[in-house]
Amino acid sequence: MIDARPAVEQVQAAFTQAITEVCAVHGVPMLRVKKQDLPTVAHFLHTNPGLRGSLSLLWAVDHRPREARYELCYLFTLAERKDWLLLATDLHGDEREFPSITPHLHAAKWYEREIRDLFGLVPIGHPDLRRLVRHEHWPKGSHPLKRDFPWDRVLGRVQGEYAFRKIHGEGVFEVPVGPIHAGIIEPGHFRFSVAGEPIMQLEVRHFWKHRGVEKLFEQQQLTEAVPLSERVSGDTSVGHSLAYCQAVEMLQGVEVSPRARYLRTLFLELERLHNHIGDVGAICNDTAYALAHAHCGRMKEQLMQLNDRLTGSRFLRGVNCVGGVALDLSGLQLAQVEVELNALEQDFSDIEKIVFANASLTERLENTGILTEGIAWDHAVIGVVGRASGIDRDLRRDRPFAAYDVLQPRVALYRYGDVRARMRVRLDEIHESIRLIREVRRGLPLGRLVSRPMHQPQPGAWALSAVEGWRGEILYVVMAGDAGRIHRCKVRDPSFVNWPAIQWAALGNIVPDFPLINKSFNLSYAGNDL
Amino acid sequence: MQSFIPIVLVVVQLALLLALSPFVVGLIRKVKARLQCRRGASLFQPYADLAKLFRKQPVISSTTSWIFTAAPYIVFASTVAAGLLMPVFVSHTPLNFAGNIIALVYLLALGTFFLILAGLDAGSAFGGMGSSREAIVATLAEPAMMLSILSIALTAGSTNLSTIVHQSALMEGVVVAPPAHLMALAALFIVTLAETGRVPVDNPATHLELTMIHEAMLLEYSGRYLALMEWAAGIKLLVFLTLIVNVFAPWGIATSLAPSAIAVGLLVYLGKVAALALVIGVIESMFAKLRLFRVPEMLGAAFILSLLALVFFYTLKG
Repeated sequence: MIDARPAVEQVQAAFTQAITEVCAVHGVPMLRVKKQDLPTVAHFLHTNPGLRGSLSLLWAVDHRPREARYELCYLFTLAERKDWLLLATDLHGDEREFPSITPHLHAAKWYEREIRDLFGLVPIGHPDLRRLVRHEHWPKGSHPLKRDFPWDRVLGRVQGEYAFRKIHGEGVFEVPVGPIHAGIIEPGHFRFSVAGEPIMQLEVRHFWKHRGVEKLFEQQQLTEAVPLSERVSGDTSVGHSLAYCQAVEMLQGVEVSPRARYLRTLFLELERLHNHIGDVGAICNDTAYALAHAHCGRMKEQLMQLNDRLTGSRFLRGVNCVGGVALDLSGLQLAQVEVELNALEQDFSDIEKIVFANASLTERLENTGILTEGIAWDHAVIGVVGRASGIDRDLRRDRPFAAYDVLQPRVALYRYGDVRARMRVRLDEIHESIRLIREVRRGLPLGRLVSRPMHQPQPGAWALSAVEGWRGEILYVVMAGDAGRIHRCKVRDPSFVNWPAIQWAALGNIVPDFPLINKSFNLSYAGNDL
Repeated sequence: MQSFIPIVLVVVQLALLLALSPFVVGLIRKVKARLQCRRGASLFQPYADLAKLFRKQPVISSTTSWIFTAAPYIVFASTVAAGLLMPVFVSHTPLNFAGNIIALVYLLALGTFFLILAGLDAGSAFGGMGSSREAIVATLAEPAMMLSILSIALTAGSTNLSTIVHQSALMEGVVVAPPAHLMALAALFIVTLAETGRVPVDNPATHLELTMIHEAMLLEYSGRYLALMEWAAGIKLLVFLTLIVNVFAPWGIATSLAPSAIAVGLLVYLGKVAALALVIGVIESMFAKLRLFRVPEMLGAAFILSLLALVFFYTLKG
């Protein structure tokens, strides 16, 4: 199945010279493009009114030792039917440079810097070639995702300083915040340039907790890396492990049983539920409205205890496995889930009413941290943040996985792009999650939990999988290596895409409103830093 | 024997201010916790916190000057001194001779001034932000506070707090204009929330450095210096609460030095302060914090209210 045939034909017709090969990877059409033509093709895909492709992922693969080439892959999501389209290009032999597409597509900005840091490939024409992942204390020439870089090498420490963008002028101050904070927050550095209270510029400097996750994947067997994927971002265990498992299942040709698909849906929605409820409370707490925070905290705790009773893990770890799910739920357990969720929904609706009725709270949330639809589109913003800014994308509907083809979730969409819109997306999704869990209980088919693999993947075979986690689109690219090992695993948490956008949402707001804006995005630092 | 009584009163009032202030802080926290369906920390937790801080070794940034280490003592001393200039449970002020209500207001302002300097002293970005915000709040709160107190002083015909409280406790024609009285009360209450860093102006419970006002100025403090600052903040809160209850609801305060009158005065005072702390706790649970640039609007409203109180006083007295 090739799902974007008209688009492929359109691009082929426009660039007969540039395209060297057309193929399909697990149903996703892939155009191999000559290196020098890449920016024009990407620009065409992005701006052509019939295509309006949004860059969803950009990753590199080092094919050594099998072949002496690097491959760059660009995944586009087309606007109309949310079809996927892949562009690919190769760097042979000693080539270390590729043309940057960032001047045409903002969304490629961080991806290209990441590739430069981790592979040592230089995007020519990139407007901002400061280091992103590799902080300045990493020695020159250390690019950990090159195949000849040993995973356990201990790096020395060198001196270096990140050049923040400066704003000069009378009364302009810089306010550095983090990476160590007063509260229990992950490490991230925010550099504000302010004139009085209004923010003139915000620069986000992350990647303080680079753990080498992608390198660690390469040391693992395909079937054994699920626990690692669960720990990419601790609050998204199900989302990440599901995306990983799906990719491996595609490689092994596993047909997951309907029962396992339903159970995966249930766990994914449980994860969405407790995180969203926690977020609603945290947003209220940042306006000093502690009442809603206390109650949302209580409900989140109830849900996590429910998780614990169902699976033995408050964070739903160990639920997914390659081929299906690792544990079953009895009819009695499911009935209990429904009873608890019914009570919880009633409880939550009461809080919702109180929150909506509170004028002082609404006043804080409205018009704060507006991310306009245009900027959201330019930066390919996704997930909750995107849906609050009019970006109508949800993989559960657009590219159904697990049991979503049957369950058909309703997608929340708001256009104001302020903190309140982001909270309302969450509120709607909380109710929708509860509805979906009820549907799962009603329709849960019988069947086995784990399906056997049909075949072992050839070295070099790869698959792309996507899951709509509670933050947004989680993408995994898994490429098989020799002897059942992983050759390359690209992990993309939605936070990596949405972090740059927060710099725009904060502009023109006052400094004391930034924590509120940040909380309404609630992005992962671990999932971003990898 | 008689001449000892004022000295005893000073000591008792001082002890009361020092001992009661952490309790008031704990009480407000408890009220908030209960309203959130939480059990909350013990009412005496602030005492334990202070004791712990006093035992800890302070860490002082090498970029600070003498102001940084002197400020906690100045803030603490000026706040305590302000507390001694007003009647607490006896309408006679122990240090009656030393100053009137204007002295009280400016003793508190002296503390605020040094607090602002201390926030700037370490040269951290957060301290500077806190100081700049505190300066806005303090400048706008001060006129509202002065006017509201002035309207009461005019009614009593004296700026001496002891006289004001004594007269109104005996109901000697102080409440000639109840609307003026109510408006002045509302103004002073708003000023209290702003000056003591409560919701909706500041959030004493936050860990978000970027949103802080009062806490941001204290970020660099530790050990006994932090303890003094925290304690002074508690005393300041108690001073404001005492000012409100005694000026606007002085009923029950001891107007003589008879032991029975003093006992009743003390009990009534404790009850009234507890009730007011309850009100603050409820307000903190009901409202979100104001956006920073809305704070001047709220303090502006307080100023208008106190101005109206003055106008009403003159027109109704008429």
